[in-house]
Amino acid sequence: MLTNRGIMLRTMGTRTKDATGYMFISPWLIGFVVLTAGPFVASIYFSFTRYDVVSPPVWVGLANYKRLLGQDPLFWGALWVTVKYALVAVPLGIAAGVGLALLLNLQIGGISIYRTVFYLPSIVPTVATSVVFVWLLNPQIGLVNGVLRWLGIIGPAWLQDTKWAFWSLVLMSLWGVGGSMIIYLAGLKDIPVSLYEAAMIDGAGTIHKTRHITLPMLSPVIFFNLVMGLIHAFQYFTQAYIMTQGGPEHSTNFYALYLFNRAWRYGDMGYASAMAWVLFLLVMVGTGAVFSTHRRWVHYGQ
Amino acid sequence: MDSSQNTPRPGRWRRCAALAASLLLITMLLAVLAVPGPAVRQYPQRIPVRLWHMWTAEWKVVVDRIVQRFNESQDRYELIALSVPSASADSKFLLAVAGGDPPDVMAQWNQVIPKWAESGLIVPLDELMTPAEREAFERDAYPIARKIGTYKGRPYGITTGLNTWACYYLPQHLREAGLDPDHFPDTLEELVAWGDKLHRFDRHGNLVRLGFMPEWFTMYAPVFGKGFYDEATGAVTIDTLENLRALTFLVDCRRKLGFENVVRFRSGLSTGFAAEWPFISGAYSITLDGQWRVEQLARYAPNLEYRTAPLPPPQGGRSRAGWSNGNFMIIPRGAAQPAGAFEFIKFWSGLANPQRAAEFYTWGGWLPLRRAIADAPVYRQYVRKHPPFQTFVDLLPSENLQPTPPVPYQVYLWDRIGQIDDSAMRGTLTPAEALRTLREDIELEQAQRRALGYAD
Repeated sequence: MLTNRGIMLRTMGTRTKDATGYMFISPWLIGFVVLTAGPFVASIYFSFTRYDVVSPPVWVGLANYKRLLGQDPLFWGALWVTVKYALVAVPLGIAAGVGLALLLNLQIGGISIYRTVFYLPSIVPTVATSVVFVWLLNPQIGLVNGVLRWLGIIGPAWLQDTKWAFWSLVLMSLWGVGGSMIIYLAGLKDIPVSLYEAAMIDGAGTIHKTRHITLPMLSPVIFFNLVMGLIHAFQYFTQAYIMTQGGPEHSTNFYALYLFNRAWRYGDMGYASAMAWVLFLLVMVGTGAVFSTHRRWVHYGQ
Repeated sequence: MDSSQNTPRPGRWRRCAALAASLLLITMLLAVLAVPGPAVRQYPQRIPVRLWHMWTAEWKVVVDRIVQRFNESQDRYELIALSVPSASADSKFLLAVAGGDPPDVMAQWNQVIPKWAESGLIVPLDELMTPAEREAFERDAYPIARKIGTYKGRPYGITTGLNTWACYYLPQHLREAGLDPDHFPDTLEELVAWGDKLHRFDRHGNLVRLGFMPEWFTMYAPVFGKGFYDEATGAVTIDTLENLRALTFLVDCRRKLGFENVVRFRSGLSTGFAAEWPFISGAYSITLDGQWRVEQLARYAPNLEYRTAPLPPPQGGRSRAGWSNGNFMIIPRGAAQPAGAFEFIKFWSGLANPQRAAEFYTWGGWLPLRRAIADAPVYRQYVRKHPPFQTFVDLLPSENLQPTPPVPYQVYLWDRIGQIDDSAMRGTLTPAEALRTLREDIELEQAQRRALGYAD
């Protein structure tokens, strides 16, 4: 039986342990509070103000939100470009990632080299990739149009063509598919071989095995990549900032790019904060919608 | 034989790893220490004045020379210059002011004066000027220099280098096309006709040489009329007959060549910086560009035969007109040494001593703030050495040069003008639709600003 003194010593010991733990995580904790949580909360207030960083914020009520939702055509344009990108690039990235993982899961000679080669582009910094793609997609001297010309096709002006600029960025997004491919590959390795053996005994072919074993067993990984892909799509910025600056004719004016311009180019921090909160809610709703469907198609192997 | 003799002991590996890590750490530390630190102050007994600027490479060398001259001329202040990356300079400046530790003076070329003046971020310089200096500035500064630096009647920026645009042309191309380089066109219409004779296409109809093609609505709007701003009323003017005429003219010229043909032609050219300017390789016969090309051509293509001429006006248009900008100095609110900062501004710009400052302008190939500098012997000598430069100097007294309208939403207006210009060129919008869209958009922006409590 513990005495009061014993309980006290144990409590003190636990507290010391807790304090030590907090001390160890304090660099991250302080950084999170000061650099993430603080600005996150402050931006709620700023979204109801007129604010330019230098002058004190002036309360304007719902004016920023009213303007955002009812009187800013660029906002709706930027939102549509972003939603369109999420609807196209995310499923395309998943399909390409899963397809590539299935191919790289084959037991053939030199497979490790193939895996490395396909994974490598995903570790190249986005800025470097963007600059390289500006050259690749150059209408006159770019490699892509050079190859097309060799095939007898006159390629489009890509980033300088209103109809093609958006699709150029979608095409470019496939360049980094190696990142998700490696996760799919790990997921494929986790699928028990016994399932395929049983299917084979039942006479299932490759298509049946893929449809009824591989994809269902891979669905938790697909779900994870879908959620992350959706969030990243709504935050799409760097490539558009470097390669097109939102043009031509707003065809690549992504939400995050417009938000950045409003904040730092036009000095309209209050409005940009309101935009950030609308974006946050959109991401929450989008992610919530995906989560609400997961019971129907995500299998956890039970 | 004991196999353990061949197996390295874990302890040895750990020691090796620790040694390697220590060596790496020491190397990194030495590398950090080897990086040169901030320059040691040359005059520690003087009051420090901190300058932020955005020049790099060869331009930074010029700035450093001017700073050195200033410091040599002083016994009270020491100017300490810092080159800030241009891409983030504005945001750094904003945050520095918000954080209460701004530089004392900043050299700028971005469109910041109206917005920053409205926010109270920068100091109206008449607070630091003596009445005589203010009077001299108003009297002597070129009209465009005053327009660039002024917001609501008060000077916030003093220019240390103006930019004007004029036609560069290759006489050899003109002669080959049967045109007389000694009689440059008097009207824009005639110049465009010359351009048509100078274009060259390959057998597929692809453009391989651009004779001359007017483009850039911002530049041409003042040439056709009042441009985008009525100085008398302070109103932004967009949907005017003159602007419609200008945009229609530009669209028609572009349509003749084909929008995509020009895009493809341009994308195959080099970036245009310094020695890579396509004019040097003959990709353009006549092109509109700024005065800094004169210095670059002297340096990188000294044997190129070329000439310059002012952009001729269209029939019924305005001569020696166009858009203009420049480098200017501002002083942030909260600067520790505004007096020292203004002393430096006067020194470099030539407000204090035009004869002395004239030399600085020649170092950078810059256009001066006032006529007294342009008339200084050292500046005259520079122009004599580079005769094509004279065209740009001659433009300076013109009242028809316009900066971007000095309104607090200047950057937004600038962006939107560029966007509707692009849409009109592509044929997505007719010139009339483009101007109507722009007007409606700007009116909306103005209304929303008023709703937020801004004065304009």
